[in-house]
Amino acid sequence: MFEINAIALNSIFAVIITVIVCFIISTLLPGIERKYVHARIQQRIGPPVTSPGIMAPIKFLFKENIKPSSPVPGLYKALPVICFLVVLFLFIALTPFAYAIPALASLVAIVGLLKVEEICYVLMGALSKSIMSVRMPFPDRVKGAAHLNTTRSFIEDISARRSLRMITYGSFPLYLALFAPVTQARSIFLQDIVMYQQTHGPFLFTVAGGISAVVFFIGYMIMLNEYPFSIIKAKCDVIEGPYMEYASKYRSVVFITRGFLMLTLGVLFSVLFIGIPPTVFSPTILINIFVVLVFVFMMGIFSAFTPVFTNRQLLPTILGSTLLGILAIVIGLL
Amino acid sequence: MEEKVPRSNIIETEIPMGTVHPAALEPYRVRLFVEDEIVQEAEITIGVNHRGIERIMEGLPVEKANSLTEKICGICSNAHIWNSCRTAEIGLDIEIPERARYIRVIMSELERLHSHFLYLAHGCETVAHETFSMRAFYLRETVMELLAMIGGNRVQYGCSVLGGVRPRCDLDEAKLLRLKDDLDKIEEGLTDFAQRFMADSILISRVTGVGALPAEQAIRLAVTGPSLRATGVARDLRTTMFEYDDFDFNIITQPDGDVKSNLLMRALESFESINIIRQAIANIPEGKVVNRDWEMFDTDIIESYIEVPRGTLYHSYALESGRVRHCVIRTPSMANIGAMQYACIGDHITDAQLCIVQCDPCFTCTDRAIEIIRR
Repeated sequence: MFEINAIALNSIFAVIITVIVCFIISTLLPGIERKYVHARIQQRIGPPVTSPGIMAPIKFLFKENIKPSSPVPGLYKALPVICFLVVLFLFIALTPFAYAIPALASLVAIVGLLKVEEICYVLMGALSKSIMSVRMPFPDRVKGAAHLNTTRSFIEDISARRSLRMITYGSFPLYLALFAPVTQARSIFLQDIVMYQQTHGPFLFTVAGGISAVVFFIGYMIMLNEYPFSIIKAKCDVIEGPYMEYASKYRSVVFITRGFLMLTLGVLFSVLFIGIPPTVFSPTILINIFVVLVFVFMMGIFSAFTPVFTNRQLLPTILGSTLLGILAIVIGLL
Repeated sequence: MEEKVPRSNIIETEIPMGTVHPAALEPYRVRLFVEDEIVQEAEITIGVNHRGIERIMEGLPVEKANSLTEKICGICSNAHIWNSCRTAEIGLDIEIPERARYIRVIMSELERLHSHFLYLAHGCETVAHETFSMRAFYLRETVMELLAMIGGNRVQYGCSVLGGVRPRCDLDEAKLLRLKDDLDKIEEGLTDFAQRFMADSILISRVTGVGALPAEQAIRLAVTGPSLRATGVARDLRTTMFEYDDFDFNIITQPDGDVKSNLLMRALESFESINIIRQAIANIPEGKVVNRDWEMFDTDIIESYIEVPRGTLYHSYALESGRVRHCVIRTPSMANIGAMQYACIGDHITDAQLCIVQCDPCFTCTDRAIEIIRR
């Protein structure tokens, strides 16, 4: 009994250390993307590398909070924290210490957690009623104005509808790519997928793996709402979209969550496609970090050279990557 | 091209944006009437930036009033002071030295370059292509430095005065040489920018067919300037201005009137501006730059139209004891508001701001009237 408790305590301790180390690394990722990719491509100095991921959240922590204009302010304010917890659980599920809990360390749980993250965006958009549109005190419904009796919509409402659409088809490529390794390992549990790859070599270096890695990368960018797939927070219409009303510590959590999600999705790739789970007690964590950095650099390059996609470009891209994902699964099954 | 007809009877939802919006450089309100994220109609309202410059000009000595017009716009400040001086010069029959005319043309074309580069940067920023936007800003920076070299400032140059240009804005050999060298750099940079822009298939697919404005509709809406020329109508007021008599240049047009045509139009027109400045540098005559030998007398209302980067600029006032009376200023964006509203129709709501931006709005200059709402 004492031994079991000691193992459990050791595992918890190992998870905490791994989470802390990876969390610290994740705070640097937005800065790396902006300074070493975007700024270099655009031939400018860019922000200090610690600014977007560390200093900005710290700064926001000490800012005065504004009361968000929301019909359910309690839930609205809780959503960034829920998002962060979802990403945290996702990361914990990827660590080898969590493999003892099959309900957590399985692809079903991972997809479920990612879906919660996406639903949070819908709720954030639906519950945000910022001053940037309807509430702006400007007399535009005056004598001579067109269509005086229309239903007025907040710009965040568009964002909520887009988030809902992204749940239905936008993130489909990512989920297909997640299930591609299952076709080889014949199991949805991470432990089996990792074990299979440690025996047979990384899934990435197979035909199905190569195709699904491309699909995963597209899904990764969609999940992070990065250009060109940032239609739910396109600056040219919905501005910040779901995050519009978040200020001070809530915005700080939004910033931190984004960095941590960048890292977690990169680690998810290294678990599913290379078979290396993250643990600070093994030098293989360097491979995890390398994969994360590769993803960040690639995302930075793609986003620097592409405009925001509207439905005209988004639908064919998603359709194409979905078909690729299906192809990868079919090849894997064969 | 088919004419777009607003389907007013099926309007479901209104999405108001502004007056503060990051995609807009200036404050304005736009009400977008949408059906499934497709804009069916748009209504733009301005009026939050009215400064009453015409009212302030009323009764001011004409020299002071001219200086004040420069504050109307931060982008085409030179155009305003030039046209204001030109108005008085026409009324008072003041002869302008040849050298001053050339310097005014150089300043005007440099201003066109910086305005068009700002347009390219803003357009690319609105489609969220930050890299192209930055490239356009780098090009613009060289032009801004040239303007600062001649005028002493980056925005308010104070170049034109009654009878010519300020002596400090005269161009010596060193300045002309730098102008010549930097124009080569700008041309090289612009060529590279245009080639990369056209080679970027993703960006081209994003801007092609968006915000299309047919030529007939543009004429009906009295659209002016590059926005009109981007619909295929070859109309440029510079061909009628006596200042441009010595210069050989082409009127650039594009066929489609969409965002792509507008962006390309500005890029190609910038090459023509470079060409005009080169001609001015090569043929600039010697002599004085300002004619002080003129007399003030009362005049009836005088009018002057010039072609500025955004279209036709109109200034008019009467002179009474050397003071300005009944001043009226009309900026090109006033004429282009109809086109901005029309261009949005039928496009995705994400493109609505882009459709407005394609007409190169300058609402701060356009805020010339004020309506008092009594509650």
